[in-house]
Amino acid sequence: MEPAIRQALRDGEQLGLRYALQIPQVAASGWTGSRSGRRAGSSIDFQDYREYQPGDDLRFIDWGIYARTDRLAVKLFREEVTPHLDLILDGSRSMNLENTAKAKAVAQLAALLATAAANAQCTQAVWLSGEGFQRLPNDSLTPSAWDKLELASQRSPDQSFEILPPTFRRLGVRVFISDLLWPGDPLPILRRLREGAAAFFVIQLLGRDDATPPEHGNLRVADCETGEETEIYIDATAAKQYADNLAQLQQSWDDACRQCGAHMTTLIAEDLEKSLSELEAIQLLAPA
Amino acid sequence: MIPFLTYPLAMLALATLPALAAIYILRNRFRRRQVSSLLLWRFHVQSKQGGAKVHRLQLPLLFFLELLALALLVTAAAGPHWKLPQSTRPLIVVLDDSFSMRAIHDGASSQTRARDFLEKLFRHQPPPSTRLILAQNNPRSLGSAVKNWPQVDELLREWNCHSPGAAIPAAITLASELGQQQANILVLTDHKPDDEKISNPRLEWHAFGVPLDNFAIVNAARTALGEQDRCLLEIANFSDAERTAKLLVQAGSNTVQSSLITIGAHENQRLVFNIPSTAPTLHATLADDALDDDNEIQLLPPIRKRVRVQVALADENLSALANRTLDATGLRAAISDPPELVIRENDSSASSNIWNLRWIFAGATNAFTGPLVVDTSHPLANGIAVEGAIWAGATLTNSPGDVPVILAGNVPLISAREDVLGSRHLTLNFNPELSTLQNTPDWPILFWNILSWRIAEMPGLKESNSRLGAEVVLRTTGEPVTITQPDGAQTSFPKTGGELALETPLTGIYSVAMGTVTNQFSVNALAADESDLSACASGKWGAWSEVTERRLEETSAVWIFGLVALALLAAHLYLVTTAKGGR
Repeated sequence: MEPAIRQALRDGEQLGLRYALQIPQVAASGWTGSRSGRRAGSSIDFQDYREYQPGDDLRFIDWGIYARTDRLAVKLFREEVTPHLDLILDGSRSMNLENTAKAKAVAQLAALLATAAANAQCTQAVWLSGEGFQRLPNDSLTPSAWDKLELASQRSPDQSFEILPPTFRRLGVRVFISDLLWPGDPLPILRRLREGAAAFFVIQLLGRDDATPPEHGNLRVADCETGEETEIYIDATAAKQYADNLAQLQQSWDDACRQCGAHMTTLIAEDLEKSLSELEAIQLLAPA
Repeated sequence: MIPFLTYPLAMLALATLPALAAIYILRNRFRRRQVSSLLLWRFHVQSKQGGAKVHRLQLPLLFFLELLALALLVTAAAGPHWKLPQSTRPLIVVLDDSFSMRAIHDGASSQTRARDFLEKLFRHQPPPSTRLILAQNNPRSLGSAVKNWPQVDELLREWNCHSPGAAIPAAITLASELGQQQANILVLTDHKPDDEKISNPRLEWHAFGVPLDNFAIVNAARTALGEQDRCLLEIANFSDAERTAKLLVQAGSNTVQSSLITIGAHENQRLVFNIPSTAPTLHATLADDALDDDNEIQLLPPIRKRVRVQVALADENLSALANRTLDATGLRAAISDPPELVIRENDSSASSNIWNLRWIFAGATNAFTGPLVVDTSHPLANGIAVEGAIWAGATLTNSPGDVPVILAGNVPLISAREDVLGSRHLTLNFNPELSTLQNTPDWPILFWNILSWRIAEMPGLKESNSRLGAEVVLRTTGEPVTITQPDGAQTSFPKTGGELALETPLTGIYSVAMGTVTNQFSVNALAADESDLSACASGKWGAWSEVTERRLEETSAVWIFGLVALALLAAHLYLVTTAKGGR
C-alpha cells in the first residue's frame, strides 16, 4: 500500500475522533454488544413484563407480582447489541486518478467513518471492489492497521458485484463511496447494496477535475480505466455540455437513491475536510 | 512592364505567417489529460471505426483572422499598385516661356490670355492632377503634380517668359513621358504648331498670340579695336511695311547717336560705330512698341586682358625676334613683372601662375619642309597652316608627358605639358637662322595663340556681353563666388575650382564677385525669332478624346489592403472582447 494512502488513513483516523456514527433505531440489532438493542435482552435495563412461558429463565420471574396477583410474570430487560458498519469502497482506477486527491480522500473518508463508527460502538467491515468484493485485511481493526487498500481495478463496482458480491451483516449501516462514473442504470446495484441494511448512504467522491469542466483548447482525454482516448476541442459549448452531463448523471443516481431509501451526497476530494458538514446533514455523522 | 509591388523586399515579412501558424499549432496541439471516465465526454467522442484517421488541425477563428490581417499588412507594406479605370485624365500643361509671350495687344499679353484660359479650364473641368512644364530652350518641369487651381497658380509665378526660345516639341515629348501616354497635354503658346494636323489624341494646342508689327534690336556687340571699341547694332523691322523708328544710343550720360532710322518690310539694318574704350556702358533703346524686351540693350566694355611676358633669352637676335612678335600681337602687357609667361632657352619649374616657353634653337638642326603633322584641335595650332615654309629644329624625341602639337616625322616642333601645379610648359623647337617660318603669317599667329591660351587660363570672365539664355564662362581662382542677378537675386558658390558656367535667365547687368574682385557682364534679349511677332496666331489645334473614355492608370492599392486589414482587426477585437474567438 502506498505510503500516501497509509498517511491518509492515519489522518482520517485523527479526523474521525471528532465524530460518531449516527445509528438509526432500526439498526439497533445485531450481535451482543454494548449498545441497547430494540429487543429484550440480558442487560440490566428494565424494559417490560410478560407472562411466564415454559422455558423462561426462572431467575427473571418477578416473585413480588406472583405474591400479589398469583400470576407468574417475567421481567424483560433491554437487549445490548453491537451495530455494524459496512464500508463499500469503489476500488476502480478512477478513484486513483492522477493529479487529483481522490485516492487520499477515499482512504481518509473511509478511516474517518470507521473511527466514527468505533466511537459509536459499532463494528465495521471494509469492502473493496475489484475482482469481486473483498474485505480489506485487518478491516475490523483501527484504520491505520488496514492493508491492501489499492485502487487499481479496471472493473466498475457493478461488474465486481456480479463476480463476487459482498456478504453484508443484516441491519447494518452501509456506506458506499465511489465517483459513480460508470455507465449503466444505478438502480439495480443500489437495490442490491441496500438490501437488508438498516441505513444506506451513497457518497459520491469526485476530484475537482471531475467536477469542473477543463479549460478551453484541444484536449486528448484518456479513460484511466479502459485506456480509451479521444480528441476533443473544448469551448464554452463543450464545457457546458460536460457540466450538463455531470448534473444529469448525479440526478439519475439521486433519483435511484430516493427510490431505494438511500441518502446521497457529493464531496470534492480536494475539499474533503471542509465538506464534512454534508455528512452531518444526511445524518451519517454526528459530533462525538 | 511596371512591377506590381513597389517594395518587393517587404514580402520577406511573409515569413511571419508560418511563425504565427507555428505559434498557434504549438499552442493548440492536443494536450493529453487522463479522466475518470469518458462517460461525460460521450457527446464529442469521435468514431474510431474504419481504422486510423488523420486528425484535422483545429484552430480558432482568431487564428485565421490574424493570419489574413498579417498577410494583408505585409502586402500593403510592399506597396502594391495596379491599373484601375479612371474617368478623367491628369493634365500636363506646356507653357511657352519665350519672351514673345510678353507682347502686348489690347492691354493684355499672350501670357495673360493663356493664364486666364487655364484658370477657366480649371473652373469648368478640373483635372485630377496637373503638372506644368516650362518650354524654354531646354524644357523643365515645374515642381510635382498638383491638385487644384491655387496650387497651379502658385507654380505659375515661375512662368515669367524671359527665355530666348521655346522648345515646345521637346516639352511635348517630356510631357508624354511624364504622362505615360495617359495624360492630356495642353500647350499654351502664341503661335500655331508646325503641323496643324495634330495626330496625338491626347494633345491640345492653344495659341493666344496676335500678329503684330515690331521693331527690334536683334544683334549687338562691342569688341576691342585697339584703343577703341567697335560697336555693332543690328535692327530689324518685323512688319509688312516700311517703318521708321527712333534709336537712341548713349554711353553713360553722353549721347552717341539719336536718330530716326527707316527700315523696309522684313529687313535688317546694321549700325557700326566706334567709341573710346574708356566709354562706360553703351545703352541703346528703340521707341516703345508691342514687345519691350527687344527694344533695349546694354553693352559693357569688352574685357581686355594682357599677358605679362618676360623674355629671358640670351641670344639677342632671338630676343629681338620674340619681343617684336609679342608686341605685334597686341596681347602683351606693358609691364613684365610679375611675369605670367617666361620665354627662355631652358625649362624650369615655376609657380602655377607662370607659364614657361622653352625655345630650343641650338644644337644639330635639320630643316623640315614638310609634310608637318599639326594637331588642329590644339589651341596653339589654331589657324596655323605651315605650308611652304621651312622649319628648322633639333632632332629630338618627344619628352615623356609632352603632348606634341606640331610634328615633323617623329620630331616634335611644338609640344606642351601641364605640371602638377597647373602651370603649362611649352617647348618650341625652332632655329630661325635656318627657317623661313618667321617670315610667314604663321609666326605671329603662333605667338598670338600662345598669348590667347594664356589669357584663356587667367581667372575672371571671358566675355562681358552675352545673349539671353547663353552661358557665361567664369574662370575661378578657388575663392568664393557670388553672382548677383539684375533682379537682385544672389547665388553663392562657396568653393569653386576650374570654370563656372553661369546661367543668364534675365536681361540686364550681372555682377560677379570673386574674392575681392568684382566684375560685371551684360545680358541682352537678342533673338530674332522671338522678336518676329508676325507669325503669332490665335486658335486651337487638336482635341483630346472623350473625357468619359475609360482608361487604366497605375494606382496605389495600399489603402485597400489597409482598410481590409483594419476591418479584420476590428472583428478580431470584437471576438476577443466577447470571447467568441475560441481562444
